[in-house]
Amino acid sequence: MRYGMVIDLKRCIGCYGCQIACKAENATPPGVFWARVLKQEAGRFPNVRRSSLPLLCMHCQDPACQQVCPTEATTKRDDGIVTVDSEKCVGCRYCMMACPYGARYFHAKERSYFGQGLNEYEKAGYPDHPTGVVEKCHFCHHRLEKGQEPACVANCMARARYFGDLDDPSSEVSRLIREKRGQQLQPAVGTDPSVYYLPA
Amino acid sequence: MAVWEDPFQKLSEDLKATLRPQREWVAGRGLFLLLGHFLSGAGAGTWLFSLYFELPAGLLISLVVVALGGLAHLIFLGRLGRAWRIVRRPHSSWISRGLLSMTLFLISGAIYWWLDRSGWATGTLGQVLWGLSLLGVAGILLYKGFVYAVSKAIPFWNTPLLPPLYIAYGVRGGAAILLVAAALGVGGIELKPLELIKLWVVVSSAVLVLIYLAGMSNSGVAARRSVAELLGGRAAVAFYLGVVLLGLVVPIGLGVFSYYGSVSMAVLGLVGLSSLAGDFYVKYCVARAGIYMPLSGEFPTR
Repeated sequence: MRYGMVIDLKRCIGCYGCQIACKAENATPPGVFWARVLKQEAGRFPNVRRSSLPLLCMHCQDPACQQVCPTEATTKRDDGIVTVDSEKCVGCRYCMMACPYGARYFHAKERSYFGQGLNEYEKAGYPDHPTGVVEKCHFCHHRLEKGQEPACVANCMARARYFGDLDDPSSEVSRLIREKRGQQLQPAVGTDPSVYYLPA
Repeated sequence: MAVWEDPFQKLSEDLKATLRPQREWVAGRGLFLLLGHFLSGAGAGTWLFSLYFELPAGLLISLVVVALGGLAHLIFLGRLGRAWRIVRRPHSSWISRGLLSMTLFLISGAIYWWLDRSGWATGTLGQVLWGLSLLGVAGILLYKGFVYAVSKAIPFWNTPLLPPLYIAYGVRGGAAILLVAAALGVGGIELKPLELIKLWVVVSSAVLVLIYLAGMSNSGVAARRSVAELLGGRAAVAFYLGVVLLGLVVPIGLGVFSYYGSVSMAVLGLVGLSSLAGDFYVKYCVARAGIYMPLSGEFPTR
């Protein structure tokens, strides 16, 4: 079993829906973006193309972050999900230096998005985001346990995201990678990410 | 208070940038990490010279400086109370190896210093502790360069040149501390051989800096940008004033002059201080110029 994601860049419209869905689901504080969208403009007027690259933790098979973590806070589960144990993390941020995808964030200080102290939503969500430690996407494992897809997948209005078992050759993600030539980001780094992109 | 102020404004801009700078290990409390790297390296170098020249005062200075370096490391951490956990992965993490080396050095070094002071350092126990302290020193001098060098995400750091550079700067830092100590009246330090060794190490480190920058300027886009940041960007002032002027020109110039002529102890002390400032700034500049490999060039296309 190896959970993985396929993102179809042809379908992605760069609406930031995944980023917002992730924030709403996981109540990540200001300065922490488990999911984000990188925009790029290419070409010259009038032949200009704007493209979007949704980013999240790649849940690598051979994670650089896990290798450098001095405290065993970063571990890889049997289902391939890379997690950070906030009880073990000391906040040295070495994993942030090692991650080639910029998927990790240090939560330095508790802050509200809206000023004037935390609102009810933030009060409920922030206990899962202790300060002084590093955090990142965990493929919404709490939703997976209930048989649901990660929030970014379930809420993608363009249906550009697919989620499933990369080890199962008959799964939709495996089929898409095979048939539509799915690509990993920064393959030369050798981390073998579990997130694949279908070319735009 | 508005949300989009620093540091979030900065982060927001960084996340949009094609070439994203690393800030965690250089800004805010990140300076303590750099201070820790600087002090632990210079302290380890001081131990080497103090053993060679048989300077009990130098041994004590070395222990104090490395301990301060360790403290600076700890202050940097987000969760200080869990620092003991850092020793758990020496098989794969250079930070674990660094902390273990520092601990080994401080314990064995402190006992060795006490034995030396009591005149018992020549016994078997003294020799074992002498060896262990040197093992700790070797670990301290080695680990910093490797901490950076194994980071594939930041091409400017991901080079085998950084470990020798950091070792050279640790060794010269040790010589510089002893020069400052001599200027402050710590007795028993033979200045002439120390000056010569220091001059040789400073010249070597200058050559290493040049090779490092030349190598990086022929690497990928992120490494080239890092070099540009050092030579003409946001780290340029620190590089030219700190690394080049204070760290290389002053120690080499006055070092040559003092070897062939004679200069006062105060001037030698200034050479040491100047050199130490250069040691710190080389670590600052390497960290400040660190830029993540670009993701935007990776947009998969057919």
